[in-house]
Amino acid sequence: MGSQKELRFAYGLAIVLFVVGAFSYAAFSRNPPDPPLRMMYQVAVGNVLFDHQTHSAIPGIGLSCKDCHHHPLEEDTDTRACGDCHLVKESKKPPKACLDCHEPDEIEDTEMLTKSDAFHAQCISCHQDFGAGPVECAECHTK
Amino acid sequence: MINQNKLIVSHAPFWHNGSGIAERSYNVMGAALLAVLAGFMRYGMPAVGVVCLSVSMAMFWELAYTRLTKMPDTIGDGNAAMFGLVLAMMLPATTPWWIVVIGTFLAIIIGRQIYGGIGSNAFHPAVLATAILIISWKNHFNFDGAYVAYNFDFLSRYPLGMLKNFGPRGIAHYDLMDLFLGRQVGGIGSGCGLALVLGGIYLMLRGYIRWEVSVSFLVGVFLTAQIFNMVNPERFAGPLFHILTGYTLLAAFFLITEDSSSPVNPLPMVIYGLGGGLLVVLIRNIGAHTDGTLYAVLTMNLVNPLLDKIRPKALGKVA
Repeated sequence: MGSQKELRFAYGLAIVLFVVGAFSYAAFSRNPPDPPLRMMYQVAVGNVLFDHQTHSAIPGIGLSCKDCHHHPLEEDTDTRACGDCHLVKESKKPPKACLDCHEPDEIEDTEMLTKSDAFHAQCISCHQDFGAGPVECAECHTK
Repeated sequence: MINQNKLIVSHAPFWHNGSGIAERSYNVMGAALLAVLAGFMRYGMPAVGVVCLSVSMAMFWELAYTRLTKMPDTIGDGNAAMFGLVLAMMLPATTPWWIVVIGTFLAIIIGRQIYGGIGSNAFHPAVLATAILIISWKNHFNFDGAYVAYNFDFLSRYPLGMLKNFGPRGIAHYDLMDLFLGRQVGGIGSGCGLALVLGGIYLMLRGYIRWEVSVSFLVGVFLTAQIFNMVNPERFAGPLFHILTGYTLLAAFFLITEDSSSPVNPLPMVIYGLGGGLLVVLIRNIGAHTDGTLYAVLTMNLVNPLLDKIRPKALGKVA
């Protein structure tokens, strides 16, 4: 190829690829499915990959949604995300999610487990009860 | 003025396969295409977006630099496009667009142009850029986290991550043939061993890369991993697992073979490759990083000038 021909080819290639790339990003960005398949919790001591599908699906562990998403018990729809109520840091105020349905004076007990405490309690106790699944730190928190 | 220095020649040997820079660049891209297509099939349109944006942005940065510095346009030689493609091969398919933009800037401007452009870079530009990106935005390069929205029909955990965290018992369920055929998570173009090997063989046969570097690199990985595995099989994985996972095969044919940052004589090539292979396994087995390939390549790039001093004695006096 001659120099000018090479340049023209390169300009064309760059423009076409940029358009295709921008279109792919705009139209095909991968959103997490609902319910999620897997979830990655980013933690300073090591990230935790939680396999939601394996815990909920049959074949798999086949847990009911309410086994983990334990509030509100009476509703069949719209399971809340854990982090809606179990905040990352301790707070004296009720989480905003509580106030979606309750008046502030209705809420007597404002002590809510942090997300970390809630996960540790839920995961480890269930794994111990059933004698399956990780219970040691490094079995979940990976580098 | 800088370019004039490139014309000072001191000693043989020289290797010329008769092709120009553009032909060479597009041939390397063609050889990589099979591995990239395997990535497209695995990860779909998000992977297409990353690859297309990476190649086009690499060309854009090249054009912007040459225009700003009033140098002749060099994007026609396809070299920037090639580095854009190689960079994209190392990225997860879910890489945000702004990381691709920054990564291509790092590769083309920081890794290549400020060293003097084509043929003057001390480090492989795409490897340098990826290493900086990984250190800067570690969580975006966590392949377990990157593909949480994908439902694969194979083990969805990153093999080297499993090895790092759980040792050989963590990788017991991986089948070596599956890994070779690309049934593993990883970079867009680094997962399919078969495609990378075919691309590599093509490049070696055409003389675009030197087989001495590729083969000695793989031998280095194999021997080191074998020794570790023989000493303590409970703790260290076997050699084939190391070869078929992470960036190993990509590095063997597309990274460590980069001409500007690798030696020119046969013996240094062999030492360079063996050293790279040794470092890959050392970093993986007793180092802090999950995949040491990029750091191994950069370290060998660093010692390349020293290895280049191993050369035949000149017969005549060099002016």
